[in-house]
Amino acid sequence: MLETRTGIVLVGPEGRVLQYNLSAAALLLADRAPRETLAQVLDDAEKFGLIAAGAKERILKLCASGGGNCQFDTVDGRSIHLAASSAEHGQILLEFIDVTPVVRSVRNEQRDPLTGLPNRVALLERLASILTGRDGVSGQPALLYIDLDRFKSVNDTLGHAMGDLVLKRVVDRMGRVLEDGDMLVRLGGDEFGLLQVGKSQPHAAEALGRKLIDIVGRAYLLQGNMVNLGVSIGVALAPADGDEAGLLIKNADLALFKAKSDGRGTLRFFTDDLNRRVQARRALEVDMRRALALREFDLAYQPQYDVGTKQLVGFEALLRWTHAERGVVSPADFIPLAEETGLIVPLGEWVLRTACRQAASWPAPLSVSINLSPVQFRTPELVPIVLSALGQAGLDPSRLDIEITEGALLDNTESVVAILEQIKALGARVSMDDFGTGYSSLSYLQKFAFDKIKIDQSFVRGVVSQPDSAAIVRAVAALGASLGMTTIAEGVETQAQLDEIGRFGCNQVQGYLTGRPLTAQAAAALIASVSARD
Amino acid sequence: MDYRLVYHSANRLESDQDQKHAQIEQILEKSRRNNAQVGVTGALMFNAGHFIQVLEGPPAAVEATFERIQQDDRHGDVALIQFEPIAQRGFSNWSMAYVGSSPTDRLNGIGARSGFDPGKLDAETLFQRLRALLTQEQV
Repeated sequence: MLETRTGIVLVGPEGRVLQYNLSAAALLLADRAPRETLAQVLDDAEKFGLIAAGAKERILKLCASGGGNCQFDTVDGRSIHLAASSAEHGQILLEFIDVTPVVRSVRNEQRDPLTGLPNRVALLERLASILTGRDGVSGQPALLYIDLDRFKSVNDTLGHAMGDLVLKRVVDRMGRVLEDGDMLVRLGGDEFGLLQVGKSQPHAAEALGRKLIDIVGRAYLLQGNMVNLGVSIGVALAPADGDEAGLLIKNADLALFKAKSDGRGTLRFFTDDLNRRVQARRALEVDMRRALALREFDLAYQPQYDVGTKQLVGFEALLRWTHAERGVVSPADFIPLAEETGLIVPLGEWVLRTACRQAASWPAPLSVSINLSPVQFRTPELVPIVLSALGQAGLDPSRLDIEITEGALLDNTESVVAILEQIKALGARVSMDDFGTGYSSLSYLQKFAFDKIKIDQSFVRGVVSQPDSAAIVRAVAALGASLGMTTIAEGVETQAQLDEIGRFGCNQVQGYLTGRPLTAQAAAALIASVSARD
Repeated sequence: MDYRLVYHSANRLESDQDQKHAQIEQILEKSRRNNAQVGVTGALMFNAGHFIQVLEGPPAAVEATFERIQQDDRHGDVALIQFEPIAQRGFSNWSMAYVGSSPTDRLNGIGARSGFDPGKLDAETLFQRLRALLTQEQV
């Protein structure tokens, strides 16, 4: 018989061994003594510790089915590929090929070099074999998508070498928490996947997740550095949350996103509701990006008046979005998403430029108030953009009024104040919006010399009927007067409210009573009619 | 140069007194064995709700010991309050001294009476207190 490195066995009817070569003998016959049937050969090969447990059944099954391929391992660690094909007279030809080098390189491709963990490819493969029932595992498989909180700042502050060290330590701790049968993989950066099989769900995933959050989230001491990390986990259960590997991973990732937005250091399960909300958000995000290109955004201008002289003093520019199918989308719905996605930066720039251009067409000294998002303060371009918007429009900076909420000052107060100083240095004015609704509005007045305080409409609305609201409006008006800041009341809807506000010494007013938001043309018409009266 | 590490944590031991005692014995036995091998000395204090532990030794050995402690789920809310170089060890004779010989001993009495809360004490105070208690009671 042909002597090659490929082991060859010719099997006749009833599993009789007809012929075999030396390679096949070396692979399957411990004592090199011939056996009558293939079943006996394999029986002894297993008994003598040549082939791994389970290989015998697979090979016999393959022969019984008349042909095909399978792979098995030898006890000494080689991987053998078996091709069975039917030959003449009902005989079957078995070819055993040693594929160890190929398998090893594939296994290396499925491993993360830093941590030694299997990678995404390995997870996909294992998931596929579980989800198609090939693995015969019991119970609902659970996929935990694990992400480290604050890992980026470790890399940024301590360097990547330390970051790598931390990751290894993290994996070490995860390993302590794992149980038999769990598969831990590194999905990338600071993301890990943990596949839990054969357990009762969702309790087992929850318990394992809590343990990971506790143990992995504890402080690390590494070469004299103390490192604090958190752990967020999203869980998807198969097959309910995905009967296909890609979908299961995606849904576990969605659950992770939810866990992160719920405040990190938490675990969340995937739910249909979560899925719907995320889909809706994605759709909104896509529409919003398109809207910017299609110019579906528009600005409305709400007039602001001097309470004493009843003169028009300016307008607040308000962002409007009219979508072809959604209709009018409320800023309350799209601004938070624009802030999260960073879309607020180009959108905010568009608002600045458009409003400045519009205001430049109004007679001086009519002003325009523009709201800036806290997110815009985190970009280095804010001041140059304000300057450029003013320059392009040819608007006197004193007619631009930048409105910010307390939210902008909450984080990195110092750097935000520095930006506000620069905006003021350009000659523009700065107002504090929604005054009184935050935690420490008063302390911010000390940190920056605002030109104007906008009293929140929640207080204005109660100014006639609720003594405490009235007291607050009166106090803020007095505060503004003594600090030399203009006060403006927003949300004024009735004459009684307007009278009360005037009595308290509020300087300006804005609201449905004195004027609703107008289109640019209507605002121009209002200005024209006011000038005609004067 | 030796380092000293001080931490406190909330213990999650069994509430049954005998089991608790057995668990502490086990912790001490294991840490004495491990510490002796790597040249770490220190002291462990235990009261109804907390562990306080001092570890002294070469920094790498102290870090490795602390990592093992961090992986132990018999306690939680671990607060590391000191990790600094020291001129001289405070517990050089003990691979792991135990302040208090049983969970119902005098020390716990002191802890309960004084409303002892390790979270309110700084590392130096904890260290000094452990040393004082140890020289009074155990030697």
